[in-house]
Amino acid sequence: MLALLALHLGLALAVPFAAPRLGPRVFLLAAAAPAATAGWAATRAGDVLDGRPVTSSTAWVPGLGLTLDLRLDPLGLLMVTLVSGVGTLVFLYCAGYFSAGQRGLGRFAGVLTGFSGAMLGLVLADDLLLLYVFWELTSVTSWLLIGFDDESPQSRRAAQQALLVTTLGGLVMLLGLLLLAQEAGTASLSGILADPPRGPTVAIALVLVLVGAFTKSAQVPFHPWLPAAMAAPTPVSAYLHAAAMVKAGVYLVARLAPAFAVVAPWRPLVLTVGLATMLVGGWRALRQSDLKRLLAFGTVSQLGFLMVLLGAGTPEAALAGATLLLAHGLFKSTLFLAVGVIDHETGTRDLRELSGLGRRLPVLAAVATLAALSMAGVPPLLGFVAKEAAYEAFLHGGPGGAVVFAGLFLGSVLTAAYSARFVWGAFASKPSCVATPAHTPSPGFVAPVVVLGASGLVLGLLPGLADPLVQAYAASYPLEAGRELEHLALWHGLTAALGWSALTLAAGAGLFLLREPVRRGQRGASRVLSAVDADRAYDLSLSWLDRAAQRSTAVVQSGSLPVYLGTVLLTLVVLTGGALVGGTSISGDLQLWDRPLQAVVAVVVAAAAVATARAHRRFTAVLLVGAVGYGVAVLFVLQGGPDLALTQFLVETLTLVLFVFVLRRLPSSFPRSTPRRSQLVRAGVATAVGAVVAAGVLVAGQARTAPPASQDYLDRALPEGGGSNVVNVVLVDFRGFDTLGEITVLVVAALGIATLVPAGRRRPQEQSR
Amino acid sequence: MTTSERADPSRSVVLETAVRLVFHTVLVFGVYLLFAGHNQPGGGFVGGLVAGCAFVLRYAVTGREGIGRAVPVDPVLPLGAGLLLAGVTGAAAWLLDGQFLESGKVELDLPVLGVVKATSALPFDTGVFLVVVGLVLLVLRTLGAEAEQ
Amino acid sequence: MTGNLTLALLIGVLYGVGTYLLLQRTLTRVVIGLGLMSHGANLLLLAAGGSAGAVPFAGSTDGGAGAGTADPLPQAMVLTAIVITFGVTAFLLALAFRSWLLTGEDAVQDDVEDRRIAALEPEEHPHAARPEDEA
Repeated sequence: MLALLALHLGLALAVPFAAPRLGPRVFLLAAAAPAATAGWAATRAGDVLDGRPVTSSTAWVPGLGLTLDLRLDPLGLLMVTLVSGVGTLVFLYCAGYFSAGQRGLGRFAGVLTGFSGAMLGLVLADDLLLLYVFWELTSVTSWLLIGFDDESPQSRRAAQQALLVTTLGGLVMLLGLLLLAQEAGTASLSGILADPPRGPTVAIALVLVLVGAFTKSAQVPFHPWLPAAMAAPTPVSAYLHAAAMVKAGVYLVARLAPAFAVVAPWRPLVLTVGLATMLVGGWRALRQSDLKRLLAFGTVSQLGFLMVLLGAGTPEAALAGATLLLAHGLFKSTLFLAVGVIDHETGTRDLRELSGLGRRLPVLAAVATLAALSMAGVPPLLGFVAKEAAYEAFLHGGPGGAVVFAGLFLGSVLTAAYSARFVWGAFASKPSCVATPAHTPSPGFVAPVVVLGASGLVLGLLPGLADPLVQAYAASYPLEAGRELEHLALWHGLTAALGWSALTLAAGAGLFLLREPVRRGQRGASRVLSAVDADRAYDLSLSWLDRAAQRSTAVVQSGSLPVYLGTVLLTLVVLTGGALVGGTSISGDLQLWDRPLQAVVAVVVAAAAVATARAHRRFTAVLLVGAVGYGVAVLFVLQGGPDLALTQFLVETLTLVLFVFVLRRLPSSFPRSTPRRSQLVRAGVATAVGAVVAAGVLVAGQARTAPPASQDYLDRALPEGGGSNVVNVVLVDFRGFDTLGEITVLVVAALGIATLVPAGRRRPQEQSR
Repeated sequence: MTTSERADPSRSVVLETAVRLVFHTVLVFGVYLLFAGHNQPGGGFVGGLVAGCAFVLRYAVTGREGIGRAVPVDPVLPLGAGLLLAGVTGAAAWLLDGQFLESGKVELDLPVLGVVKATSALPFDTGVFLVVVGLVLLVLRTLGAEAEQ
Repeated sequence: MTGNLTLALLIGVLYGVGTYLLLQRTLTRVVIGLGLMSHGANLLLLAAGGSAGAVPFAGSTDGGAGAGTADPLPQAMVLTAIVITFGVTAFLLALAFRSWLLTGEDAVQDDVEDRRIAALEPEEHPHAARPEDEA
């Protein structure tokens, strides 16, 4: 399995270089990757369906316990069929769709292959973190593919919207996955499913994961990115935004539902969001005039349907969901590819301009009609089989009962109506417009569409072909003894579900026939509903984010050095002071001084320091600071540090010289100080800092619990360091690394000085003088 | 010393002579502190600062050119050399299968001086010494010289 | 361990005055404030290391590591800190000098770019590219 992923990656990197030579035929080369995967999956299908999943495990980052765990089980096999099976056909279709002179062809082919690999990894991953990595890779590749036409502002906006919404959801999901992995004690997906953790944390984790799944599968209220993504070339819409990527969220729900559907917030959340999505998508699809957007809203609707079925958490619903997953992948990509052909041959996909194409492109019309009928749920197609199973699952007291069933029924009526609208819009002869001129597409261009469309018919007529696959997935639910799931079939007898199906189709046909009154009604309703437009909400939140960023930047980044320093120091006061007040007390003995002389010197030093702050002339201030320095040197002597005192003395002298150098050029007095009020604020901050530090010194002195490290230094200095001046031995031996760092700082400071004040800058003037 | 310098009325001949006498003494004292530092107060930092003070004294009476004559190298040279020396001393421990900066001791029986103890701390400390001296020299050359204009 | 009240108060004063000067706009005063704060920090390190004691020389007290010896580790830290403060002070003074060369004063002005950003009017997000339904 790793080899297949590597093949995708390798081809993704290679095809951009092959594109200039091969032109659109480069897609035939790239198709090798999904084709090989599909072939491999076919050979393993027997094992997988017999309950022997294929697994592979490779160490990735051993230090972090990350492994490349891959696993092919029935659900994985179903998804691989869509990802690689449909994928292969889409690649073949691309070879006819693009012209030789297409700009960015190699990039497109490479990214599409990369997406195919990422999607394959996503459905095979058996590790939560690995799954997340592939999940985000599909988001990124999707972003690149939607924004393929990078000169159009509409594509750029659509690409950004898709990226923002899906990665934001992905991040939320990552949080959930991490929580889940922590609660379970393992990141292994199969491990978690085998022994699912329980508890309030798990409930929170699942809600977070579901948010990720909802964004990825374009559920309300995150759905607007999917219709907007129709700015991408049609093969992308067919592959990413119908068959594969948007199924990722549904896939994750399907993956987790057997173990977690019983956890409290799962069912209400999934069923509500799924039903709302199904209805909103269907309603909006009925209003579209662009065939691609019609299909996109149809996809939103169907994704909601899938979410309900696969998230409901009963084996019957799961069976229906898996069947619909397959059916939708087939009919929706067929329809998209058909729209691509129409767009390619006529130059438009507006159903108000298309007329008479049914006669001009009979093969295409036939195949697309088949697919649309499958979407509407007309026998004998796979879509009908799936819808029958779905009705069956919720008619007899499934989760949510009658409410959910009513929602599914309404959604299906809308689906039937927009399916009819699609066929009518694309192929019918309309009296209001002239027949659209169209080129005849080459057979190779239409062939993939025919294969996809026909497979829906074949699987519908022979549901036994798909039955083992969906049965194997539904078997991941525990089933009471003696109960058996019904097999997929076209004819179950005169059941209630059949009656409801017939009613659905009739109502859908009615909606289509009454399209003019319906359109007026929708227009009226949309005026009322526009207040809750999710796409506008996206725009508003983006501009709100912009404004918030700007305002916070204006506040946080004021550009004033005193404000910055004051903030840092106040943080010190609050944090350290808070800790001092909160948790410590001075318990040990306090003494006034070690030696009385200490106090005398300290008074002098303190007085000089305070005078420094009050000095008006620069030179006075510098001299006073020198006095402080020498006083501190005396304190060092009293403390028992002759080296320190010596160093302090010398440095103080050199610093004085330094100040004199610079002060010679500066005005003798400090400039007039700022208003009194701001000086008082400064004095307040200063007092607080001083008080906190003084208290901190007293507490820190008491806080020692371990013996000082230097006890050891005193013993080891002579035998190991070869010197009796322990301070020096510490500097050059025990803590030599620190000293090396410190002289490096000195060198850096010196280089800074040399750059700021170039010594040779005035030499030319000197010579000329 | 050029005639123009001699003609400068702000110069004190007494001070100049005194500094000339003291300059080398202070310099040598700095070097002494470097060598003595391992066992007595002193060390690379202190030694370097004392030597630096010697140059400051010299600068005070003769200006930038006096320094240039006393040390005819770019101050960046001791800075770099010092850092390099300290680093190389640390790295040399690797060659002797030690850890970075692990100290070594050598006892040499020299014909005239008798047994001489040398530790790897000395070249390291010399590096520190050079960096500090370089920093002081650089400050004199840049800020000092600039301020002279 | 015993706490030394005199040193604690002195450190507090040095930090307080240092902070006050650090918050000024004149770069020279900022440098001076930093110097005072460094003195405070150095004393703080020493005070945290324990009471005053004999010079930490191996073999100078009986039995080497006696209780009356000052702690050598903070001393070593302070020693390097002093020299580094010198380097930093020199750098800051060079900065002040440069500032004087360029602007004729050594006051730290507010960042012009930051003020400009703060004064910006929030701009509307473009909606133009949003696709619409059939009317």
